[in-house]
Amino acid sequence: MRRFWHTRELSTVAILALEAIVFTWYLWPEGGRAHPFLNGPNGLLILKYSSIYGIAAIGAAIVIISGGIDLAPGAVIALTSVVTGHLFVKSGWPLAPSVAAGLLTGAAAGLVSSWLIVRVGLPPFIATLGVMGIARGVAFIITEARYYDLSRTIPPGSRLLGVPVDWVAPVVMIAAACVFQFLMKRFQWGRAVFAIGGNETAAVFTGIAVGRVKTSVYVVAGLLASVSGIVLAVAQGQGKADLATGYELDIIASAVVGGASLAGGRGSVVGAVLGALIFGVLRNALPQIPGATFYDRLIVGLVVIVIVVLDQVLVRHER
Amino acid sequence: MADLEFRDVHKSFGAVRALGGVSFAVREGETHACVGENGAGKSTLLKIVAGILRADRGEILWRGAPLRVGSPHDALAAGIGIVYQEPLFFPNLSITANIFAGHEITDRVGRLDEPAMRSRAAALLDELHVPVSADRRMEHLSPAHVQLVQVARALAFDCRVLVLDEPTTSLTDAEATQLFGVLAALKARGVTILFVSHRLPEVFRLCDRITVLRDGHHIATFDREAATVDQVVRAMVGREPPGHVPRERPAGDARPALSVRDLVRRPRVNGVSFDVAAGEIVGVFGLVGSGRTELLETIFGLARADAGSVDVHGHRLAPGAPASAIRSGVALVPEDRQRQGLFFNLSLGDNLALPGAALVSHRLIRRREERDGAASQIAALSIKAPGLQVTPDRLSGGNQQKVVVGKWLEIAPRVLLLDEPTKGVDIGAKYEIHNIIRREASRGMACLVASSDLPEVLALADRILVVRDGRLRGELSAVEADEERVMRLAAAPAEGPA
Repeated sequence: MRRFWHTRELSTVAILALEAIVFTWYLWPEGGRAHPFLNGPNGLLILKYSSIYGIAAIGAAIVIISGGIDLAPGAVIALTSVVTGHLFVKSGWPLAPSVAAGLLTGAAAGLVSSWLIVRVGLPPFIATLGVMGIARGVAFIITEARYYDLSRTIPPGSRLLGVPVDWVAPVVMIAAACVFQFLMKRFQWGRAVFAIGGNETAAVFTGIAVGRVKTSVYVVAGLLASVSGIVLAVAQGQGKADLATGYELDIIASAVVGGASLAGGRGSVVGAVLGALIFGVLRNALPQIPGATFYDRLIVGLVVIVIVVLDQVLVRHER
Repeated sequence: MADLEFRDVHKSFGAVRALGGVSFAVREGETHACVGENGAGKSTLLKIVAGILRADRGEILWRGAPLRVGSPHDALAAGIGIVYQEPLFFPNLSITANIFAGHEITDRVGRLDEPAMRSRAAALLDELHVPVSADRRMEHLSPAHVQLVQVARALAFDCRVLVLDEPTTSLTDAEATQLFGVLAALKARGVTILFVSHRLPEVFRLCDRITVLRDGHHIATFDREAATVDQVVRAMVGREPPGHVPRERPAGDARPALSVRDLVRRPRVNGVSFDVAAGEIVGVFGLVGSGRTELLETIFGLARADAGSVDVHGHRLAPGAPASAIRSGVALVPEDRQRQGLFFNLSLGDNLALPGAALVSHRLIRRREERDGAASQIAALSIKAPGLQVTPDRLSGGNQQKVVVGKWLEIAPRVLLLDEPTKGVDIGAKYEIHNIIRREASRGMACLVASSDLPEVLALADRILVVRDGRLRGELSAVEADEERVMRLAAAPAEGPA
């Protein structure tokens, strides 16, 4: 039980709960009208849009724990939407293979990043900065400034494996969070990721296949980013080269707010998802406050700093 | 008159008392040693003098008046120069810039007076016999020269007291000798020196008086002339050093456990062949740069061999593949536990379980097995730790080293390679680690111990291999080996029968 109260994720949950309470109170409607924030459809909306960031943030957290950084997810999201859209709309492929090809694109982007990092020896920041440019560039070359209309691909009210279509993204996010939390905490692969992020030299001396583990980390991150890409493409109803511009920083911020340390060796997959939800709630609720329209980016920036500082104070207190 | 006097200095960190009332005086112009095991309170005392920590109680008198230092800058301004064991410097800046960092010579408007600083720096380097240009960047300097630049920095501020913290840890013997020459010259100029160390030979060589700390208390201050090494050791350890574990060589298996043939890893390993039998402890002695670390790393596969072979119980190891070496039963306890051995983001339990977790065929970690294994290593090696959940930074150097040994014993290797197994650990832990090695050998493990600590090699090994320039220069049995014979093989090529 003591262990439970000391888990790092608990403070992130507390911040999320606090945030929800503040907005519920602040946006309380007068005269018995429906609550604009606290209602079922809005909750689903928050979950759905958060999962675009959240799924990729799982990958970002794993990369950061391994001591690296991935700047490519925003561009990978766009490229995935474009590849899937092109195959489905222009080439007339069925939906499933189109999606599979989109996912492969993300994995391939991760493979290129990891090759540059592991084999060529580039710093992760530079390698993934390059891959970010390449992925975005390929997306523009494929689309030639067009976009693919995906809005009629999935008829409203349909189900996927029994899950209503609006629920698919949140379910995927939660499932991925559970799977990767388990992999990170209870499997030798996760232990190796933590070890490499904590002390890469010692990992080599301990016989851990550092190159192979790092490769898998970036491939997983690329794959998860392209899952986000599919979700976003379906949600927006289009595959487009300028989708998800700037998302990489929000994705990294989600992982960091969820406890990932950019120094490596520390962090949590579940924390990253919670971090994405914290931002999801902000993005949903702030525009509903009259006059706050121009403040939301500012507030999001402040929240990142406040949460990370708070976390450092807590960690220091623990020591 | 006392230059620097400690009066009843107390310091605690939470519940841990680092200093429990330390009093002693350093006389003007003397060279005074402060010795003690790790955790005796030497570093804490030093940090208080340096202004990094503040004493809870008690005071330090500086030439009769209370010393008030709130920062390293204050200490330097007061005339106390400190040479740290692991110096922090700016590798990207020149020697001159490092010497004057934070105290640059400027003209009236605040512009840097580069020529003045450079000529002063050059003069200091000259005085300290450092044959390097003052414009050279720090990253290009050897550890010895880095130490001497720290001394130069203290001299640049006309320090009357020079405090050195374990200054020889990363130096070769020749470099240490050079440093001692410099210190003797400074002493002749009237500089007072406080020398913090746990290497007794150099303490006896250099110092006028020796203060022993143990568990945060002042135990005794000896005059060098009146003291023996044994007396000082007893004061440091507080008990008689534990005896050797008697050891019987398991007989029977004549085939070698480890067989190295014509191993080459250029430029440091140039054709080495030898065998180690099960239950045997073989020492590898060589000076710094002789190739002993590289030899071990090539056997283990961290460096890929250019030629030659390594067999373990008749099974050929794949070159350049540590994981396969580990699977064949080879383990390496590396030279630098902080950098190569430990994971400071992981708990003690996870650290101990890591080699096992990285190798087992089932990929799901079995927590209970891990925890039991870690707990049994902690008990077997008597690792002093507050629990399995703490991270290794909470442990003393000796206990950290035992963790690195323990994480490998956990997978029960048949061949154990150890590189400087007792570097930077206190005397008590050193004996314990020696006994662990003896115990494992008597259970049939083949142990290869590389060390630059000759007494250690002589005390531990059944057989000693001497390396120089990446070749074996001789092999001595424990009976025929003594310091002089081993040293002659290890050192001068002209004298050896190479």
